[in-house]
Formats: sequence, structure tokens, C-alpha cells
Amino acid sequence: MTTSSAAASVWTCPFCPLSCDHLGVRVGSGDEPLALKGGHCERASLALGHFASLPRAASPEVDGKPASLDAALTAAATLLSASRQPLFAGLGSDVAGTRALYPLACATGAIWDSSGGDALVQGLRALQDRGQFTTTLAEVRTRADLIVFVGGLPSAVAPLIGARLGIGDTQVPQRHVVVVGPTDGDQATLAGWAGAGVTVESIALQGDLFDTLSLLCALVAQRPLADAPAALRALAERLLAARYAVLVGAPPRLPAQGALIVEAVHQTVGHLNRKTRAAALWIGGGNGAATANQVFAWLSGLPVRSRAGPRGLEHEPLRFGATRLLADGAVDALLWVASFDAQSAPPATTLPLVVLGHPALAAHCRRPSAVFIPVSTPGIGSAGHVFRTDGTVLMPLHALRPDGLPSVADIAKRLLQELPNRSAA
Amino acid sequence: MSSILIRGGRVIDPTNGINAVQDLVVRDGRIAAPVAGEPHAETFDASGCVVMAGGIDMHTHIGGGKVNLARMLMAEDHRDGANPIALPDNLLELASCGNCAPGTLSTGYRYVEMGYTAAFEPAMVPSNARHAHMEMGDVPVLDHGAYVMLGNDELFLQLLAEGGPDAKNFSQLRDYTAWTIQASKAMGVKVVNPGGISAFKFNQRKLDVNEQHVHWQVTPRQVLHTLARALKELGVPHPLHIHGSNLGVAGNIRSTLETIEALEGLPAHLTHIQFHAYGTEGPKKFSSAAQQIAEAVNANPQISIDIGQVMFGQTVTASGDTMRQYAQSDLANPRKWVGADIEGMAGCGVVPFRYREQSYVNALQWVIGLEIFLLVNNPWQVVLTTDHPNGGPFTSYPHLIRLLMDRSFREEQLAKLHPDVVSQCALRSITRELTLDEIAVMTRSGPAKLLGLPDRGQLGVGAAADIAIYREQADREAMFRVPERVFKDGVLVAKHGTLTATPVGGTHFVEPGYDTAIEKTLRKHWGDHGAIHFDNVAITHDELCSCCNGGRLLPAECFTGSAA
Repeated sequence: MTTSSAAASVWTCPFCPLSCDHLGVRVGSGDEPLALKGGHCERASLALGHFASLPRAASPEVDGKPASLDAALTAAATLLSASRQPLFAGLGSDVAGTRALYPLACATGAIWDSSGGDALVQGLRALQDRGQFTTTLAEVRTRADLIVFVGGLPSAVAPLIGARLGIGDTQVPQRHVVVVGPTDGDQATLAGWAGAGVTVESIALQGDLFDTLSLLCALVAQRPLADAPAALRALAERLLAARYAVLVGAPPRLPAQGALIVEAVHQTVGHLNRKTRAAALWIGGGNGAATANQVFAWLSGLPVRSRAGPRGLEHEPLRFGATRLLADGAVDALLWVASFDAQSAPPATTLPLVVLGHPALAAHCRRPSAVFIPVSTPGIGSAGHVFRTDGTVLMPLHALRPDGLPSVADIAKRLLQELPNRSAA
Repeated sequence: MSSILIRGGRVIDPTNGINAVQDLVVRDGRIAAPVAGEPHAETFDASGCVVMAGGIDMHTHIGGGKVNLARMLMAEDHRDGANPIALPDNLLELASCGNCAPGTLSTGYRYVEMGYTAAFEPAMVPSNARHAHMEMGDVPVLDHGAYVMLGNDELFLQLLAEGGPDAKNFSQLRDYTAWTIQASKAMGVKVVNPGGISAFKFNQRKLDVNEQHVHWQVTPRQVLHTLARALKELGVPHPLHIHGSNLGVAGNIRSTLETIEALEGLPAHLTHIQFHAYGTEGPKKFSSAAQQIAEAVNANPQISIDIGQVMFGQTVTASGDTMRQYAQSDLANPRKWVGADIEGMAGCGVVPFRYREQSYVNALQWVIGLEIFLLVNNPWQVVLTTDHPNGGPFTSYPHLIRLLMDRSFREEQLAKLHPDVVSQCALRSITRELTLDEIAVMTRSGPAKLLGLPDRGQLGVGAAADIAIYREQADREAMFRVPERVFKDGVLVAKHGTLTATPVGGTHFVEPGYDTAIEKTLRKHWGDHGAIHFDNVAITHDELCSCCNGGRLLPAECFTGSAA
């Protein structure tokens, strides 16, 4: 088992894109669930509730019946090698797990896509087409005098976003926080943020989010727009006057064709940077999705939604989406990886299925042609690494209490060894 | 233990002053003294071959945040027109693609095929250190290491400002430098556009060497001198690695000379010097200052350089220099770019470029790089690089070597360039052709010496058996493209350009000592300004090992008793 860096007193939360490490966990006894301490976060509390203080024994299952790990590995390898086009999806793992999944993907010709792939690809396509200018949490905390959330607050994706952006701390004496297109509950959160050093504002959409951002972008570019609503006009002026404006969005909350919205944000940032300073920050890629994207990209050169197929290394940001492939019957086996989230069940499918996941996911695999292998959760049962939302910080995860389960990396390596000679298949 | 005999090759080992036909014995991964009558498990007949230590690339962007952004940005680099990149034929290789932004696996494979056995990532952002080590750990075969970026982090600049012109708190800055090297497991320190990356965050768009940072009121000169002095006092073998001010700006020769002056005789390495060697003469106000650079380097034996040679074709520039990359982003080809402000410490800018022979500026850049190579007298002060991928991908090294060794080939290539460059350049009249000895210095012995790796870059008894065997050929490009054999720590890793083994490479790093009292200051700074718990910042040996895929940890010795 690999060990991670820090004193056991530090816990890095693996459950949302922010990877907070300022909170702690109360480990009780027996079946008592783990509980967050030192602060409040709905998402962390909910996720921790799926882990017992003393981990219960969890067994692999083949076709819904308990099996030894060896039998499960053999069954999984047989199932994968019989597939002509497997899909590796979910990809809820850490760096070590993803590193080990890559040779397995190469050996089986699998397509790889992460959970939340639709959201991730919105940002990826915008990046591939036009590029981006982004910033990071510490930079926002220490510099941003204007924070503009586009398309509502990402509270469900990252509950502690306000604190992590430094809203309410004294690093920047006066901040203005704006929500463009607020949704339910945002007003209350904003009101909670308002106070010494923080002013808040919400601006309703003008048309849809894309229309609104297009207008804002044009105003920031100082194009004459006679009919522009006063609120947006004022926001454009604020952006141009700010010392360091940050536009924050959450790809998981964007509608279809969200790449256009991402581009509009980047274009606005681009105009601002001609004269002042600004950057974008995207909140997403949790549950290992960003980590999978980074690791596959550095190993192969290609991000998610790619494969080492018969014609070569292929990247298809739309065609290789997991949901679409399953709906079209374009794949004939599914390897689902979900080591963090006890609720990240595999998509409904009758295809041959291998799940490497949280022990609670066994219930979703009790059917013929299904193999379930419980794996350790990095940051709970073992150490590991995941990328934080801003992509520049790879966070170390520490084991809270060992769970005795194999890691995704262990299983992926063994599966590779177990694969029968594919030329004979 | 079994041994390998490499028989009858011309051993070129400038570290030990050897250029002679002689046998080489490898035992237990090291070069060993021949023992009369000793049986060898394997013998390779190297007659007609040149035997050198494995190549060492001391400045190549092979891993970390900006490299991965470059991969994601350059989707077109990862397909062959409308077709996918074919899978490798060799079963030892995993699929991995890219030319200017290759995957880590492909990076390792392609370097090894050319006879390189080590590569150093020059721009590791402290907050991105784990990521950089992970990627380097996934570069197969090669040993690796990284220089951590300092001098644009707000804490350093704040401390520098607090210390005033007399640097009253120098020991604090020195301890912070040592701590950063330790925490990030770096091999050295690089400063990029000293103070300028931070200044850009405060909306300053230009920063000369003696100009003040708009917020901290300190100058690049202070940053340079403080860091160079700190590294000298800490005994870090690789001196300050400097990406100077005003990269790419016509007339930046002034900044480069001011940078050398700012060091006041302290040792330093000026990287991708070609991008910092521009004058303002001629009708286009853009000219070669290679002569002035060469004179400065010749006059300052404590200074070393690498070139950052420009090679024609598509590439992508990946740099920590947000200020300068922003300024050049309008020249992006294809027209897109990535930038970032990072964690109150650093920045990055990734801008695709296509260097064209018929562009006056690009042609002159190509000329300037070659002129510097050929005008500096002492090859030990010059390292062969393209600043991969910024001047061009590392796979162009064999072509570059031929340009340096073969004057008639160089003139053929020169004739293809923008006519105004051809007619005016000093390169036309330079007759020097580099020798094999000089190439060996610039590609292995020199870098090993500059990095403080006594058992690498040479083939004396006891040295690591990193060996590249090239078949003597008049066409130096062909010769250096496909070595006959490549050994890494005594293991045959490539044969005729085909990989034969893919062991995991080791990680070079240094661990200078420091007064731990500095941690109190750092803990407070991280609490007030950071976005990660201070106890999560430093990388331990165990963690480094897991980042680097279980490769060997190769701590390099710091000098002791250094002049304080």
C-alpha cells in the first residue's frame, strides 16, 4: 500500500471538487457512520454516512452470489475479454487507480469516459476550440475583488464554495459577489454572505444563460448596445473596473451545448484581460472525473472519451459519451468504477457488467452476467491522490481507517494479468 | 554477476578526457574495470560505432500542469489529419501519441530511441509538484527531476520587500528556498521572468530587470541575486536556472546582459537563451544579438546556457511566463491559447506556434540559436536544447546535431529561409563544425556536471551504465536518430530504435538543510493565503516513491562548506 504525505491529523475530503482539508472526521465504533467534525458540509456528511466506523467485511459477487476475489477476477476477465467493444465508465478513482486502468483499457480496446462526462466535455471542447484563462482557489481568495457566479451558485456541486473562495475573510478588504441567473436558495446563501467587506447582488437572466452571457460579453467588449438591460450594463462596468474579476461556473449545472456558455465566459475574460485582470474558475470534475481526464490525457495524449481501438488512438468527444454508447448499443460490456460515492450506481443496462465500487453498490449488480468487486475508497480506507477543481493542485488523500479492501489499482493490475490471450478470443 | 562487454567502439567520454577505441565492461548496472579472462554474458561488437554516455536533457517540458493543458489544447497534435494515430507495433509499448505535446509514455519511448536516458522538467510549480512527479513517473525508462519555480510567489516577494535593499532577512529567504526544494522534491530552482508573473496578476504588462514590481516595489535584479545567492549558500549543485525578463521581445539583449550583471559573479544557468538574444537593428527592428551573448558567456565562466533552438514546423509553447505568453497570444497558430494564474505562486501560458522558414522573425530565431551554439567557445557552458516543445519537439535533436556538425548541410537549410535573413546573417560566415566530443559535452557530460550528477554523463569505472551506441555515419542526423544499442543502468532498453525493456526511471532531487524555524512563518502564510492545509504541502520520500511509480529515489549530494 502506498502511503501519503501528511500527519494523520489532516483529512482531505474526496467527495467534491473542492477537496477541502480543513475539516475532520469523527470515527466512532462499530456500525456507527463516520461523521464530519469541525464544520458543516452537506455533501461530505451525506457521503461519510455511507461508511461505517468499523468497516464491515465486503465480499465480491459473481452473478449476484458471493465469490472469492480470485473467482470474481476470473469472471471479470472472461467477461471483458469476450467483449468486442467494452466501455470503461464512471472512472471514480484516484491517480493510482486510473494509471492501472489505462493498460487494461489498451489491452481490451475499451472506450473510456468518466461519470459526469457530459459536463466535463463542455469545458474540454471549449478548451480544445478556443483555449481558456483560469485561476485557482488561493488566487481567488487573495485577489478577487469581484466574483461573478454564472448560472447560479454551485452549492449542490460544492457546498463550501463561498468559504473556499475567501468570501467573508479579510484577504481582500472589499468584495462584490454577483450571481447571474440565481436559482432556488441562492438568495438565502447570498444574504448569508453579505456583511462586513462583502456586498452581494443577483441579476436575473435576460433570455437564457447563453443570451445573457453573450450580452455581457458584448458590453464588456464595449460594443454599443442601446437596449442592454441596466443591470448587465452595470455589471460590465464593474467587471471593467475590478482589479481582479473572477467568473465562476459549474459545468455540471450547464444545459446542453454548455460549451458555448463556457466559451462566452472565456471570451468575456479575454476582453477584460486586454485592459485589466480577470480569470475564469470552473467547479466540477468531482468523484474522480477530473482525475481520470488528467491521467488518461498524460499517459495517452488523449482525454476522456477516447480509445486505443483497431484504427488507432481515437478521441471522440461526442460519439464516445457513455450514455450515448449505451443507448445506441454501441458497446457490449461495461466496466463501472465508483470507489468514492456509495450512490454512484452503474447506469441501467443488461450488458455484461463489472463494477469496482463502494461495497454498497453490490445491490446494483445482483443479476446474471455481473461481477461486483468491492474496492477501498481513497481518503477513507486508503491513501491516494485526486485533482482539485482548478486542475493545478493534486491533493493527497489520507486513510482514515483501513478497510482491508483492495484498491482499484490492485484490481486493475490483476485483471490485466488475468486476461486470456485476446488473439485466441 | 553477469557482465556485458561492449567491444571495440570509439568511446567518447569528455568528462574523463577519453576519445579512443576501447572496450567497455558493464557489471551490476555500472561501468566496471575489465578483468582479464572474465567471461561475459553478452558481448556487443561496437566496432565502427561511437559509444557515449546516455543523453541528458536538462530542460524539457515533459510533465506537469501546463504540459497536460498543452495536450488537451492540441487535439490536432493527437490525430493524423482525419485519422487516428496508429497503435504501436511493439508489444512493450502502450498506445500514446503526440508530436509537440506527446503523452508521457510516448515521451519516454521517443527519448530512449534516440539514446537519451534522463530528462529534467524545468518548470515545476510548487503547488503542482505532486502532479509533475506523477507525470514524470509515467515517463518510462528515463531518470527525471525538476526545478521548482520561485521568485514569483507572493511570499518570496513580500519577504524580499520586507528585507529592504540590504536584504536584512536573507537567511529567511534562504531557508524558505531550501524548504520549497525539500517540500517539492526538486533538483534545483528556476526563476521565470523574475517577479513578472506576479506583476502580471497586478496588471503590470512589462517588467525590466531594474524596474520595480508595481505592488511589492522590488526589482527582478533583487529576486535574481537573492535566489542565486541562496542556492550557492545552500550548496545546491545546479545553480539558479533563469528564464530571463522580456522573453521574445526585440531588444531583450539588454535584459539578458543586465541579468548577468545582477548576479554579480554568482553562478547561474540562463535557459533558452535564444529567446533572449534579440537586438533592434535593421529595417524590421529585430536582429541577432548572438555575438553579444557569446561574448558575455565567454567572459563569464560561471554562467552556463542552453539554447532553446527553434525548429520549423508546428509546436506549442508551454511556459510559466504568463506575462510574456499573454503578450504573444495574438500570434497563436492555431488561434487559441491557455493561461492561468496559479495559487499566489506562479502562472502558466500555453500558446501554439508554427515556426515558418519564410517568416523573417522565425528564420532569424533559427539563425540566432545556431549562432550562439557556434560562437560560444567552451562547450561545457552550452547545453543542447529546443526547450521542448517551445522551440520545437525534442525529436528534432538529431536534425539539430547535424546542423551543428555539418556546415554544408547547414547552408542548404539556411538557403531555404527568408531571403533577408539569408543575406544578412553572420551564420553564413561561421565555419565551425562541432565535433563529436563537443556534441557529447553538450548532450550528456555538460548537463551531468551542471546538475551535480557525478556518476552520470560519463563512462568512467563506477559510473552508471547509461550508454548510447551510435553507428558512425557521415549523415549525423541518421546516426543520432537511431542508436544501435541503448542501455539504462546496464539494462538493454533499445536496439536499432526499438524498445527492448521499459524499466521505471529514478527521481533525482536534492535536500538542502534549513532552519526549521521558517516553518512557523510558512504555516501562518498558508493559513492566511493558501487553499491547502500546510501539513498537506510537503511531499515525503514515501509519497514521492508512489508518485514516481516506485522508481528509485536518487538524492544528489549538496556541496558542503560552501562559501557563505
